[in-house]
Amino acid sequence: MDVSTATPETAILELKGVQKSFDRGTGKLLRVLEDINLDIRPNEVLCLIGPSGCGKSTIMRIFAGLIEPTKGQVTYRGQRQEGLNENIAIVFQGFALYPWMTVESNVENVLRAKGLDPAEIKERTNHAIQMVGLEGFEEAYPRELSGGMKQRVGMARALSVNPEILFMDEPFSQVDALTAEGLRAEILDIWDDRERNPSSILMVSHDIKEVAFMADRIVVLSANPGRIRTIVENTLPRPRDTRSPEFLRLVDQLHDIITSTELPDIQVSTVTSSVESDIVEPLPSAQYADMLGLLELLDSHGGTCDLFQVVAQTHVPFEKVLTTVKGLEMLELVETPKRSVELTPLGREFVQSGMDERKVIWQKQLLELKLFRVVKELLELREGELSREELIQEIAGRLPMEDPEFTFETIVAWGRFGELFAYHKHRGVLTFE
Amino acid sequence: MFNQIFESVWGQANSLFYPFRRRRYLDLVVVLAGLALLYGLIQLGRQWTGVHRPVVEINLSPWSLPKYTFFSMMRGLAAYAISLAFTLVYAFWAAKDSRAERLLIPLLDILQSIPVLGFMPGLVLALVALFPHSNLGLELAAVIMIFTGQAWNMTFSLYHSFKSVPMELQEAGTVYGFNWWERLKWIELPFGTTGLVWNSMMSMAGGWFFLMITEAFKLGDQDFRLPGLGSYMSVAVEKGNVPAMLYAILAMVIMIVFLDQVIWRPVVVWAQRFRIEDTSQGDAPRSWLLRLLRRSRLIRWMEARRVHRLHVHGPRIPRKKKPVAQAKQIQALQRWIANLALAALMALVLWAAVKLFIYLTAIPGQTWLYLTKAGGLTLSRVLISTALGTLWAVPAGLAIGLSPRLSRIFQPVVQVAASFPAPMLFPIVIAALAHFGVGLNYGCILLMLLGTQWYILFNVIAGAMAIPGDLREAATSFRLSRWQKFKALYLPASFPYLVTGWVTAAGGAWNASIVAEYYDLGTTTLSTFGLGATVSKAAYDRNLTLLAAGVLLMSAIVVIFNRLVWKPCYNLAYTRYSLDK
Repeated sequence: MDVSTATPETAILELKGVQKSFDRGTGKLLRVLEDINLDIRPNEVLCLIGPSGCGKSTIMRIFAGLIEPTKGQVTYRGQRQEGLNENIAIVFQGFALYPWMTVESNVENVLRAKGLDPAEIKERTNHAIQMVGLEGFEEAYPRELSGGMKQRVGMARALSVNPEILFMDEPFSQVDALTAEGLRAEILDIWDDRERNPSSILMVSHDIKEVAFMADRIVVLSANPGRIRTIVENTLPRPRDTRSPEFLRLVDQLHDIITSTELPDIQVSTVTSSVESDIVEPLPSAQYADMLGLLELLDSHGGTCDLFQVVAQTHVPFEKVLTTVKGLEMLELVETPKRSVELTPLGREFVQSGMDERKVIWQKQLLELKLFRVVKELLELREGELSREELIQEIAGRLPMEDPEFTFETIVAWGRFGELFAYHKHRGVLTFE
Repeated sequence: MFNQIFESVWGQANSLFYPFRRRRYLDLVVVLAGLALLYGLIQLGRQWTGVHRPVVEINLSPWSLPKYTFFSMMRGLAAYAISLAFTLVYAFWAAKDSRAERLLIPLLDILQSIPVLGFMPGLVLALVALFPHSNLGLELAAVIMIFTGQAWNMTFSLYHSFKSVPMELQEAGTVYGFNWWERLKWIELPFGTTGLVWNSMMSMAGGWFFLMITEAFKLGDQDFRLPGLGSYMSVAVEKGNVPAMLYAILAMVIMIVFLDQVIWRPVVVWAQRFRIEDTSQGDAPRSWLLRLLRRSRLIRWMEARRVHRLHVHGPRIPRKKKPVAQAKQIQALQRWIANLALAALMALVLWAAVKLFIYLTAIPGQTWLYLTKAGGLTLSRVLISTALGTLWAVPAGLAIGLSPRLSRIFQPVVQVAASFPAPMLFPIVIAALAHFGVGLNYGCILLMLLGTQWYILFNVIAGAMAIPGDLREAATSFRLSRWQKFKALYLPASFPYLVTGWVTAAGGAWNASIVAEYYDLGTTTLSTFGLGATVSKAAYDRNLTLLAAGVLLMSAIVVIFNRLVWKPCYNLAYTRYSLDK
C-alpha cells in the first residue's frame, strides 16, 4: 500500500521489483516471487506473514544476500548490494548451531571468522551470552539444551556480531509456546535500546498473534507466486498488552485480510458450465483425513463455525486449516461466507452417511473438477496405465505456477480415497481402481 | 600401643602404594609406551632402508613374533595414513568442484569395485625395479596394496557427508563469513567425522587381507616376501611347523584386539561429540584407555600447555577483510588450480585407457572366449559362496542381533573374526580339504566363504538390532509364528543391511578368488579352472598381456554385476524396506 512512500534515504535495505524463479530440475521454472517492492527502515520491526509457499523465507534470504534475485535489485543504503550483506545476522528456524561446539565456542567462532582479536572475542562473547541469559551454560553442548535454550544460543550468536539488522526466520516455531512468549519480549527489550544495534528486525512468521505483538509493519503475502498483498501499519504503543481490545481488533483485522486473500468471497465457480473451459484450478495440498475431520467438527457445531474458532479448538496451524477449508470448498462440501465455514447440503449428506456412500459422493465431486477429468481422460487414452512422469509433465504444463510434485501427490491421495485411481509406487504408474 | 605401631607401619607401607593409588604409574606407562614405540620405529626404519635380500629370512621363534607383528601393524597404519590423506583431498575436491565431480565419482565407483589384487604383481615388479637395492620398493608396494583395500569406502563416506551438510548449518557459515578453511574445520569435517570413523574401522579390517597376501608374495622363483606376520605364516606352512602357525594366528588376533582397544575405541568415544542427532543416546560407548589417559598427569599437563599457548600467545592475527580485487585474484588462481588438476587427472585416465587398449589389441579372440568361460565359472563360485554365507549367517545373525544377551557375547567375537584375514587360514584349510579328498574346484568356494561370510553376519546382526521394538511387540501380540515373524518382519527389516553385506561379501569373494583358485604351497601348486586362477597364473608366468586382460574382464564383470543386480537391490532396500520413513 504505502510501498512507494519509503524514500531511499530512509531505507536501510530495499528490494525493487524483485522476482525469483527456481529451477525445479525438470527444466520448468517455478516462480516463487513476483514483483516484490519492500524496504527495511531504521528502528523498526518488520514482519513477513503468509501461507506456506508465499516465499517469505526467500524474501528474507534475498535481503540477506544469500540468494540472488532472478530479476530486480537489492540496495543497501542506496548502493546496489552485491553478495552477502555483512551488516546482518540471522536467527534460524532450526537453530543451525554446530552440535560439536560448546555454547561458548558456537559464539566465539563466529567472531573469530570476523577476524577480531582474542580480547575482544572474549568480551563480546561474554556480553552476548549474558544478554540472552545463558551464563552458566557456556560449556554446555547444544544437544544438552531445550529448544528455547538453543534458540537463546542462536540469538547470542547473532547479537554477538553486532548486526545492524537482525533477521529471524520463524525463530520460535520450534520452541514451546510459553518459552516463545518470554523470548519475544526479551528480543524486543534488546532491540528497544536505541543506542545499540540491532537497529531493525526483520522477522518471518506464520503466527498472527506473534506478528501483532512484535511488528511495526506487517507485510501480508499471498502465494503462488508470492506477492505482497498488503502492508499493515501497527501503531499500538509498546509494550503491547495481548488482551487489550485494540490488540485483539488488530489480530481480527489481520485474520480477515489473510482469509480474504486465501478464500475470496468472489467464487471461482467450479460448477460445470455448458462450454468446457480449459482452465484448470490448482489443488490445495489438503489431506483428506483433515478434510473429513473438519467436516465432522462442523457437523458437531450444527453445521457452521467461525474459522478462527476452528483454529482455536483444534490447535491446528492457521494455514493448514485454510488449505483444508479450501479443499472442501472446491469439492462443494462447505461454503465460506465471510469468516465462517458452513456445511453445504451435500456436505451434510456426506458427513452423515456411511463410508461407502461417502466414497460415492467424493468420487462424483472429484469428477466435477477439471483436473481430475483431465487425469481420467489421459488414463483412458493410455489404456489404464499412466506413468508418473507423464502426469507430472501434464500438470506442469497446465499449472505452471504450482509445484507439480505436490499437486501429483494430492491427486493420488484424493483419487485413492474416492476409489477413482490406484497408484503403484514401485512401478510409478497410475491405474484405475 | 600395638594399634599405634600397626598404624605407623601400615601407614608407611601404604604410602609406598601412594603413587599407584594416585595413578602416578599411568605416567610411567605413558612414557614406557612412548619409548617402545620409538624403538619399534627405529627397527622399522632399518627394515625399510635395509638391503634387499633375495630370500626372506624369517625366524620362527615365538620371541621374534612381536617384531614381525609390529612391522605388519605399521604397514597397516602407514597405509591408513595415506588413505586418510587421499580421502580428505579426493572427497574435498569432488564435493567442491562440480566439473571434476562428474569424473571423480564414477572413477571412484569403478576403483572400489575392481579386484585390486590383480594389480599386485605388476605393482610389485615396478616398485622393486624402481628401488633395486633396498627394501623400500617392496615395502611401498605392500603399503600401496593395503591402501587400495582401504581408501575407497572412506572417500565415499566423507564425500557423502560433505554433500549432505544441512542447509541451515551452511547458511549460518555463509552469513557469519566463514572462509573455506573455517567451513572445513568447523562445519564439514566435524559433520563427516562419525561416518569417517566407522568406515576407517572397516577399512583397517579389510586392509589386513591384503597385507597378509602381499607379505607372503612370491612370483615364480622370486621371493618378494617381507618380514611380517604374513611371511611368518607362509614360512611356518612351508616348514610344516604347526605351533608356529598357531602362534601367528594368535599374534594376529592380539594385534586386532590391541588396535581396537588402543586406537578405535578411544577414537569412537572421542567422535561422540560429532554426532548430529540431538538426543543423547542410552548407552554411549566407553573406552577404558581414554579414561585412564585422561587421568594421566603427564597428558593433562601437555593438554594444559597447549591450551595455555593458544590462549596467551594465541596465533590470532587480526584478519583484515581482503579487498574485492584481491579476493577476485585469489578466486581466479583457485579456478586455475582446479582446472590444472582436472586436466592432469583426465590426462592420467586417458593415458591409462590408451595403454590398456594397446595391451588388449594383442589378445586373440580365442583367448577372450577362454577368459569369459573362466569368468563365468568364477562368478558362479562367488555367487555360491555368497549364497552359502547367507544361508547360515542370516539365521545366526538374527538370533544374535535379536537377543541382547547373545549380542553382548558374540558381537566382539564377530568383530574380531571379520577383521581376521582369511588368507592366513588358507594353508590349513587346503591341507584339511586334501585330507578329505576335496579338490580346489569346490574347495575354493570354501576358501572364499571363509573370508566373506563375516560381512554378511556382521550386517545382519546390525540390521536385527535396528528393528524397532514396537514392530517386534506388534508381531508378538498378533501371535505370529516364528516363521511368520521371519517372513513378515525380520527379513524385510534387515534387508537393507543384508544387501550391504552381500555387496561387501561378493567384492571380497572376487578378490579372494585370485588367491583361492591358485594356491602355491611351496612345494606344489594347487589350481583349478577359473578367472582368478588365470590371473594368478598369468602373473606367475609374467604374461602381462593376459594379466591385464584377465583383470579388466574381472573388473568389467564386477561393475556390470553391481549395476544390474546390486543397484536394484539397493533401490528396493531403500524404498520398500527402509525403516527410516
